[in-house]
Amino acid sequence: MPDLKLLHDAVLNGDAKVARTVTEEALAAGAEPVRLVQDYMMPAMAEVGRRFESGECFVPELLLSARAMKTALAILRPLLVTTGVPPVGRVIIGTVQGDLHDIGKNLVASVLEGGGFEVIDLGTDVSPEAFLAGVREKKPHIVALSALLTTTMPAMRTTIEALEEAGVRREIKVLVGGAPITQRFSDEIGADGYSDSATGAVRLAHDLLGV
Amino acid sequence: MNAERAIVKTGSTTNCFNRAVLAATRRQALPIAVYPGLALTGAKVSDIVTNPVAQVEAQAALHERYRTSFVLSAMDLSAEAEAFGSAIRFSEGEVPTVTGRLVTDLAGVERLAVPQPGDKRTAVSLEAVRGLRGLSGRPLVLGGCIGPFSLAARLIGVSEAMELTVTEPELMHALLAKSAAFLGAYVRALRDAGADGAIMAEPAAGLLSPNALGAFSSAYIKPIGESVADGHFALILHNCAAKLPHLSAVLASGLRSFHFGAPMDLAAALTKLPSDVVLCGNLDPAGVFCQCSPEQIRVTAADLLAKTSSFSNFVISSGCDLPPGVKLENLDAFYDAVAVQSASPTAAKLN
Ligand code: B12
Repeated sequence: MPDLKLLHDAVLNGDAKVARTVTEEALAAGAEPVRLVQDYMMPAMAEVGRRFESGECFVPELLLSARAMKTALAILRPLLVTTGVPPVGRVIIGTVQGDLHDIGKNLVASVLEGGGFEVIDLGTDVSPEAFLAGVREKKPHIVALSALLTTTMPAMRTTIEALEEAGVRREIKVLVGGAPITQRFSDEIGADGYSDSATGAVRLAHDLLGV
Repeated sequence: MNAERAIVKTGSTTNCFNRAVLAATRRQALPIAVYPGLALTGAKVSDIVTNPVAQVEAQAALHERYRTSFVLSAMDLSAEAEAFGSAIRFSEGEVPTVTGRLVTDLAGVERLAVPQPGDKRTAVSLEAVRGLRGLSGRPLVLGGCIGPFSLAARLIGVSEAMELTVTEPELMHALLAKSAAFLGAYVRALRDAGADGAIMAEPAAGLLSPNALGAFSSAYIKPIGESVADGHFALILHNCAAKLPHLSAVLASGLRSFHFGAPMDLAAALTKLPSDVVLCGNLDPAGVFCQCSPEQIRVTAADLLAKTSSFSNFVISSGCDLPPGVKLENLDAFYDAVAVQSASPTAAKLN
């Protein structure tokens, strides 16, 4: 069995290659996939999020950690499914229509994955119709919307309205975030939660689902 | 406390912008506002970024309304990438933006031809600068361009550029060399077109660590600044994402004039600068200019003016470019707050 601390450190230091090899070696040596995720990767990602928020690391480091975690998760996810370990919840995330900013959205997606959620990323410039189609197809517990432009903030409202009109709004929780978003705006458009950080998004997601 | 106040070393040549600010008897204001002028001229965003006449008219209308000491060309941070060949998404009501990645690897970077100033829409800013020269009252004319790291990031992808600074720094340096070669020539072309200075916007660099900002941004800006430092031309470095820990790395560009966004603690930054280096900033375009009421804007602006009142090297501004949606009554409130503070007894300190 490889030293699993190496997996923790690979995510922390953003080293996707090491994350992959340690994950493969650990699996070959009989490690339980869920332990790798919960005991090593999730704490590492939580620490990266903390360091980012306190200004100890910056966007490049955070993106690399997210990539390392995704690389290991790609190997582990199919095994988690076959061994019957359910994700904490399913999230559909995307940047709203007209908006191409995705750095914050990607970080939120990664930290949610690190927090045990299954995340389906619809990308950027996602129309209300595309969110609705995603909800119908994937049956998520949460829809997370990101917007970085004042001009695209209204698209959050139209997305929520589209979900309401289609009669699916009550089945899901809607989270919103992005630099110009405020709690007030979130309340105004009838979202279920707002956070200004990726780690806050995970806490919120846990609270909303009561998990 | 003494260590806190340690003054950071900066370049030596001053410029017309700093001289105007330091000689002024009242607080100077320089909101980055061209698009809000559309409310006065009735043109569209798409006109501003393609038609220098529409651009000059929008700026002239704001100049007329507020009697500004400075006029600007529009911030259009996809024009330079388009000149390199990037695909651009245009729409009537939005500032155009780059889509996709023009280069992905070293071979692509090596093949990349450096464009000429005036190629594609960079001709619009050059022409706008010529037009702004003709405005009454002879305000200082500031052209605008993107910064070397942000341009490189738009060519190779912004998220990708972030990661490449760590995983393949040599690739980023090769791309930065081309980005900076173009921008050096472009800034000189703006000067030759009659600009008294230029605001170079380097937003993406503020997401890097301070060390990386020094290596991937300031190191490339320094020679550009030196090439136009003639005692008159003012290269003003704008970074809307930088925070206080980035300050020294930004100053390492050797420039004498800086413009910061809302994340920067301006009052603290001012204590770390020599008194002849000018700092502009930093009321949030979205959180303040777009979303606040005129009354709230007056209060927020007055608060920033109060915090910075003892510094004659401060210029109150927006933290970044003001989008077309900013209401004129909000800009009015901003200028009102500046006028009120200038008329108050503390303003005497400016002399
Ligand atoms: C990088 C950047 C870009 C890059 C984007 C690259 C990319 N792939 O994302 C590029 C260069 C392409 C770009 C383009 C533009 N940009 Co831009 N950009 C920025 C910049 C510098 C940083 C944004 C960023 O990534 N921050 C870092 C991340 C980590 O922070 P974040 O996104 O806020 O996310 C955090 C939280 O908000 C939260 N969060 C985010 N999403 C969500 C979602 C949920 C559900 C939750 C709970 C939380 C959450 O968690 C994240 C992690 O902590 C900002 C300036 C700034 N200082 O913010 C401008 C900024 C956002 N851009 C701006 C503008 C105007 C533009 C352009 C219109 C300019 C132009 N014409 O070129 C275009 C628009 C293109 C488009 N249609 O989308 C303005 C927006 C003003 C406004 N509010 O309207 C800003 C604020 C700069 C400014 N002028 O002040 N930009």
